[in-house]
Parts: sequence; C-alpha cells; structure tokens
Amino acid sequence: MNSKIKNELAELLEADIITQDTVQKITAYYQTKDEAKPNRLFTIFGVLGALLSGLGIILIIAHNWDTMPKNIKTIFAFLPLIIGQMAVSYSFIKKKGSAWVEPSATFLILSVGATISLVSQIYNIPGNLSDFLLVWIAITAPLMYLLRSNMAMMLHLVLITWYAAALGYTYRGPIPWWYLLLFAWGIPYYVRLQKQEVESNISGVLNWLLPLSPIIVLGTFTNGQSMGFLMYLGLFGLFYNLGQLPVFKNQKLRRNGYTVMGSLGTISILMILTFKWFWEDAFQDPFAPIDTAFAGILFLAAIIVLAYLYQKKLLKSFNLFQYAFLIVGLLYLTKSLGYVHNIVLTNILVAALGLFGIKIGIDKSSYAILNYGLLIITVLIVCRFFDTDLDFIFRGILFIAVGAGFFFANYLLLKKQRSTALSINPKTETDA
Amino acid sequence: MRKLILILLFLLFAVQLSVPARMIFQQEDTIQEGTAYKFKTRPIDPTDPFRGKYITLNYELNSFETTEDWEEYRGPVFVYLGMDEAGFAKATAVSKTQLDIDQDFVEAESNYNYGKTVHFRLPFNRFYMNEHKAYDAEVSVRETQLDTTKICYGLVYVKDRTAVLDNVFIDDIPIQQFVDQFQNKE
Repeated sequence: MNSKIKNELAELLEADIITQDTVQKITAYYQTKDEAKPNRLFTIFGVLGALLSGLGIILIIAHNWDTMPKNIKTIFAFLPLIIGQMAVSYSFIKKKGSAWVEPSATFLILSVGATISLVSQIYNIPGNLSDFLLVWIAITAPLMYLLRSNMAMMLHLVLITWYAAALGYTYRGPIPWWYLLLFAWGIPYYVRLQKQEVESNISGVLNWLLPLSPIIVLGTFTNGQSMGFLMYLGLFGLFYNLGQLPVFKNQKLRRNGYTVMGSLGTISILMILTFKWFWEDAFQDPFAPIDTAFAGILFLAAIIVLAYLYQKKLLKSFNLFQYAFLIVGLLYLTKSLGYVHNIVLTNILVAALGLFGIKIGIDKSSYAILNYGLLIITVLIVCRFFDTDLDFIFRGILFIAVGAGFFFANYLLLKKQRSTALSINPKTETDA
Repeated sequence: MRKLILILLFLLFAVQLSVPARMIFQQEDTIQEGTAYKFKTRPIDPTDPFRGKYITLNYELNSFETTEDWEEYRGPVFVYLGMDEAGFAKATAVSKTQLDIDQDFVEAESNYNYGKTVHFRLPFNRFYMNEHKAYDAEVSVRETQLDTTKICYGLVYVKDRTAVLDNVFIDDIPIQQFVDQFQNKE
C-alpha cells in the first residue's frame, strides 16, 4: 500500500470520517492487492531486459563483422533466433506465467529481426526497410495469439506502423495496403483484452497505442489534397465516439486515448479548416477515388458508433464534439456552392466547440477541460489574427476579452467548487 | 487445445527458421551456379537502422534506348544482360514484360523515361559494410575516381532472375581491402 493512502487514512480517522475497523479493512484489501505485484514487476523487468538485449544484438550485428568468414556469420545469424525459440518453448511447455512468456516473446520477436538482418547483410539482399519490416512482421504476427502475449501485440503495432510510414511517406511511395490487413489482425486480440482485462495496465497503454497507429499511418493513403483532411476528421470523429462507449468512458480520462486523441485531433483539423485557403483548394479539388472511399468508410463507421450510442440510450446530454465531424462532412459536400459559407460556418463551429468545452469543464468541475475550451477559442482568434484585415484596436479588444474570459471562467469554477465544498462540510468556511 | 497451440507454435518456428534459410539457399545457389557480371558503379554511404551501414551503388548501367514508347511509365522492367568488349555488363534489351529469349535478366525499377529512353534502377544497389569503413569507402572511391583509369565495379551473380551482389572492387581489389589501405595511408 502506498504511503499516500496510509496518510489519507490516518487523516480520515483523525477527522472521525471513518472508523478504525474501516481502516483495517482498507489496509487488508490493499495488502491482498499488493501480493500480485512482485510477479508484475518481474514481468516488466523481464520484458525490459529482453527488449534491451534483443536491441543490443541487432546493434552488434549492424556493426558488420567483415573479417569473420561467411559461414561463421551465418551460424551466428541463427543463434539469437534459436535461443528465442527455446525460451518461448520452455515458458509455454512448462506453463510458466506472464513473467516468462512476455520476456521470451519479446526476445523472440527481436531475434527474428536480428536473424533476417544478418542474413540480408551477409548476402547484400536488396530491398528497402519496408520490405524487411514486412517479412519480420509476417513471421512474428501469430505469436500474440499463440502465446497470449501483450508485448507481442504491442511490438506488432509498433512494427506495422513503422512499416507503413517507411513505405508510404517516401517520395512517390506506394500505398501500404498490407497495413490494413496487419492492423485488422491485431483487433480480435485487443477486443479480447478489453473484455477480460479491461482494468489492466496493458489495456490502458493499448488504448493509446492502437488509435495512435492509424493516426500516424492514415496520411499515407491520401494523395495530399483537401479530402485528406476529411479522412482525418472522420478518423478523429470515429475515435471520439468510440471513446464515449461505456467500456472506455467508465475509465479515467488518462486511460481513454480515444476521447483525448479524438478531441485534440478534431480540433486541430477543424482549426486548419477555418482558413480560407483550405476551402479555396477544396472548391477546385476533384473527389479523388481512394481518399473519398477512405473518408466515406471512416465517416460511416463513426455514424454507426453514434447510432449505437443512440440506440443504447447513451447520448443522454448533447455533446457537440461527437457531431463536429458530421457537420463539416456535410459542409464539404456543399463545396461546389462556393467557399464563403463554409469558412464562416467552420469558424462558428470551432468557437461553439470552445464554448462547449467551457460548459463541460464547469459542469464537471474540471479546470483542465475548462481551460481546454478557452484555449480553443484563443487559438481560433490567433489564427484569425493573421488572415483577417480587422483593426488593431478591434483585435486588441478581442484578445483582452478572451484574457478576461480566462480569469472569469476559472474564477466561476473556483467559486462553484468552494460552494460545493461548503455545502458538504460547513467547517471549511473558516479555512476559506 | 494446448497441444494444437504447441503444434502451431512449432510450425511458426519452422517458418521463422525457413525464411532466413531460404534466403541463404537462394543467394548461395546463385553465387555457385549463376553467371558473374561486373557492373561499373560509384558508391555513397547511408545507414539502415537494423542492417547497419551500407554503400549505395549508383550503376553506370541505368538507361537503355528502346523501340517502344515509354512515356509516363513507372514500374518494374526486365533488363536483359550481356557483356561488352571490356567484360563489363551491358543491357541488351529492356522490356515491360518478360521476353522469350535465352539470356540472363534482372528485374529493375523504372522511375522516369524520356522519349524512347528508359531509365531504371538496378535492385542490387546496397552493399553492407563495416560501420567504420562505409564512409571511407565513399571518400576513397571518390578520390580514386579522379584518376579516370581506375574502375569501380560490383560483382553480381545472376541466375533465374535472382541477382546476388557478391562484392565491390576497385581495380580488382576488394573494397574492404581498398579501404583498409586507404585508412592506413591516412
């Protein structure tokens, strides 16, 4: 049990909030919880050890021992792979727990990379980094299911993201279609984890890593025109709405990467869409087939999630962030009518989202969300500072007004919290 | 169920072992049985995060005048090989499709074309080197090439569309040895 909880318990006991009996029960509860910890620590250190030694082997190989004969080098190439396979076999056959399975799986995955690296090096096998990564991914992908290894899933995500970025973000780089299949390959594993170990640390980490991967990669599927922004908007809209599903929403915000990245991403894209140049370009851009298909699929997926939330009566209060992607999507469809209405309406939408953030912040008594809302409005004003011909006086007044808004809104929230505290415990009046 | 997983796991291990083994077999087979070609080249040195330092070989053999119209074409091409009087590799034909002729060929990548001249990049353009030698390889070769009589070439074995870059030579001296001499002189 950590010392913070101990101190809190002592304080609560002293203030007659809880009894000695309750203190004992809470202490006993945490002690049983702590019993699982040594094993977890062993797993973490084991994985770290395997990661470091695996990467170390790759680096030693990268040195290129050109004085060593080819056949000796070839034997050395297989050595880490065989050690990795033996370690995995041992941990599986002897039914060792995750403290063995996770490090051995980590080492095996890295040793596969080391072996094909060394063979490629010995024979100067042509092929760029993405070809090499694809082979590596293909022959390690089943490990997550066979061993039920979380590290195998995490490394799979890292490698496929690297592969897609290495292939797609090069000059005239092809579209990394294999990424879609490889990404889908990991989804059943992730769903099982969410069902069976929703509270585990690894679930929390994957709630960030899993959405981060397509965010990094989606840009490789666009031809760089305005529709690319729509693709991202659809993706962020999908993530934000996924984050509203009870399985994620009932967790702490720091474990809900979908909501955080969905919201930040939506705002970032919308901020770009408030500029005149975007809608001017969009007015001229044709509907590129691949971009349009991707944007359509992502929007559809986001709408399906919204419909599911509606059907399950989970849309209790109106939240503009959930619909922002849809509004802009509809605006984009009207692009042939001209761009003035789109520029004005997008600016209004972003300002409304800022105000909505402030409202949510006050309702939830969260300074972070309140100031996030204020920040959205501030950034919007800064953006307009550069591309409008407003008077300096007017702009100055606008900035002062937003600055005053920051003080006022935070003051309001502080006041609200104090009055809540007072109604719960009148003793605090003297402290305030 | 556990037995099935174990069988699948061992099958996966076999695949993991067979991939590098097959790579080795294919390369060795080409070196043993294939025809050796010398491609005139010039090296520069970049890095790969896993496979280490290498030199990229810019081959002189990078274009061919054909009778076909090649405008706007980007993609794989088949480069058919022969030897010139000095014993260096030359292209005898380049085509978008495989031709019915009994000649060694390699698959290259064509990125741009001008008129009927097709420009391509040969695939065996990476030669992995010791991390302390790759940069010096570039420098020493550049200095050497000021002397136009010295020739840098890659020795490539070709068999059944597989090409293996065996070594790089400067005036018949292996590049590792050449760099050693260069570093000792420095």
